[in-house]
Amino acid sequence: MEIYLPIAGMSINLFLVVGIGALVGFLSGMFGVGGGFLLTPLMMMIGIPPAVAAASDSNQIVAAASSGAFAHWKLGNVDFKLGLVILFGGIAGGTIGVQLVKILRSLGNFEFVMKVVYVLMLGLVGTAMFIESLNTIRKSKAQPSAAVSAPSEAKLGKLFAKLPLKMHFTRSGLHTSAIFPFSIGAIVGVMAALLGVGGGFIMVPAMIYIIGMPTIVAIGTDLFQIVLTSANVTLQQAWVNKTVDVLLAFLLLLGSTFGAQFGAAVGKKLKGEQIRILLAIIVLAMTVKLFLDLVMTPENLVSLAPAKGGGH
Amino acid sequence: MKRLLFVILAACLVVSLGAPAWAVTPQASERVLTAASKNRIEIGLFYKGDVVHLFGANPVPGSDLIIRLTAQKEEELKLSVKGTFGPFWMTVRQYAVTGIPFVYKIHASRPIGEIVSAETAQELELGFPAIKNRMQMHLIRGEAGPNDADLVFQGILKIKKEANLYNIEEGPERLTITEGKLFSHYFRFPPAATEGTYLVESFSFSNGELVGYGKDEIHIRKVGLEAWLTQTSQNYPLAYGIGAVIFAVCAGLLVGVIFKKGGHH
Repeated sequence: MEIYLPIAGMSINLFLVVGIGALVGFLSGMFGVGGGFLLTPLMMMIGIPPAVAAASDSNQIVAAASSGAFAHWKLGNVDFKLGLVILFGGIAGGTIGVQLVKILRSLGNFEFVMKVVYVLMLGLVGTAMFIESLNTIRKSKAQPSAAVSAPSEAKLGKLFAKLPLKMHFTRSGLHTSAIFPFSIGAIVGVMAALLGVGGGFIMVPAMIYIIGMPTIVAIGTDLFQIVLTSANVTLQQAWVNKTVDVLLAFLLLLGSTFGAQFGAAVGKKLKGEQIRILLAIIVLAMTVKLFLDLVMTPENLVSLAPAKGGGH
Repeated sequence: MKRLLFVILAACLVVSLGAPAWAVTPQASERVLTAASKNRIEIGLFYKGDVVHLFGANPVPGSDLIIRLTAQKEEELKLSVKGTFGPFWMTVRQYAVTGIPFVYKIHASRPIGEIVSAETAQELELGFPAIKNRMQMHLIRGEAGPNDADLVFQGILKIKKEANLYNIEEGPERLTITEGKLFSHYFRFPPAATEGTYLVESFSFSNGELVGYGKDEIHIRKVGLEAWLTQTSQNYPLAYGIGAVIFAVCAGLLVGVIFKKGGHH
């Protein structure tokens, strides 16, 4: 059954879109990650224009993260003060990111830059995750000491805490500089616009290991800022680039919601390091595919660039 | 049965003489009477393209037919040309291209080159070489390459053919002519054929001379949710963006309530 996506300007199999949403939802439920970084490249692979894929993914992230954010807020797991500092960074970064998308699209190199950033980001994350989980599996077999690389991470956190503009964050029990949370928010905001990701896979480790937040508060605060940062990116992509396909976002949400329920059930049956190594392999496979897209001779050397704003 | 249908249609066409849908070019002395199975195509939620059947009466029995589908709107394209940058392929120059039809499909009873001379084909813009001659391009970024005109045109052809917007079919398989007079065929409108007015022009040739001409109009427009979403996103982008966010938050919270697990991220 075909469905016509009004902003993407194309007809696509309904089950393919919902299926991709379900697949990513399943993986995200199983691994406990957002999945935006898998969703955008997969949509591009089925022919959705890259700019529409990224912008509609942001819209879907607003929906996918909002219920989690609401639940964590009710449980008191959101550090609103720290979340707002990160959010200011996220809004600044997201606004810059949307303008960057506009410029890159007019230069005809949005897809190129997007893929380069994806390759770098997924390559780094995938490799680090693969090595870390492999080491954990080896160490668990050899019964090693529990200490991993915490000392160096703590050192980094202390270094950032020495920066000016110190603030007290009661919920996290921290007295630290606002510069680092703002900066990481800004970086994730740029990436949200450029790649259509929520950025939780960067934000949560940074909050825990560098800022030093308690894990549950980091997750709650991350969801809070993801909803608002993605909402800002969705709004601006719709306004500036006219690339948000609400219908596409809705279909993805439909699939991902159901997929996530099954993924979470499967995830409970697997060990943490097994889950991470599996995710690392998926991420690295995606990286290789995107890298090959960049270096292999394209089928057509000529492509259409958007003459004005608009996804079609 | 099929023949009877053609006779009835031809009779209807004769009755409808004087309808404003067709016009005669200066060269043509006769009218090619045509009728389409539908003149309006609506893009709804489950739209996957459409097919329009066309019927007509050839004014000079036994003459050749060339039928062309184009869009009324002219396209202004901005094209990116990829080149190597170290090991990577990226956009190295861009062209603004005009004079290219948005859609261009031809059904001919025989190969165009056997029906008309190259000059006539050029004059009436029949065939891809004529389109290439019409194309105008100017460099807007980067340095021009020696074979860019050819590269750009072939690139456009490939993009358009893949989207099923360009196509030339020469032979009786697609264009059936009964007893040299009544003809029928169909044009497939792909999902990429967006809103607008499309023209189906029928040219009749005898010994290479244009002896008849007819024209039909097909209108494509979005309806319902598709029309509303497109118009709002283009005309009221800020309101559309706010609506998209509110819709997402409500949908997300609803999902959370349904599954009572707080969703995922």
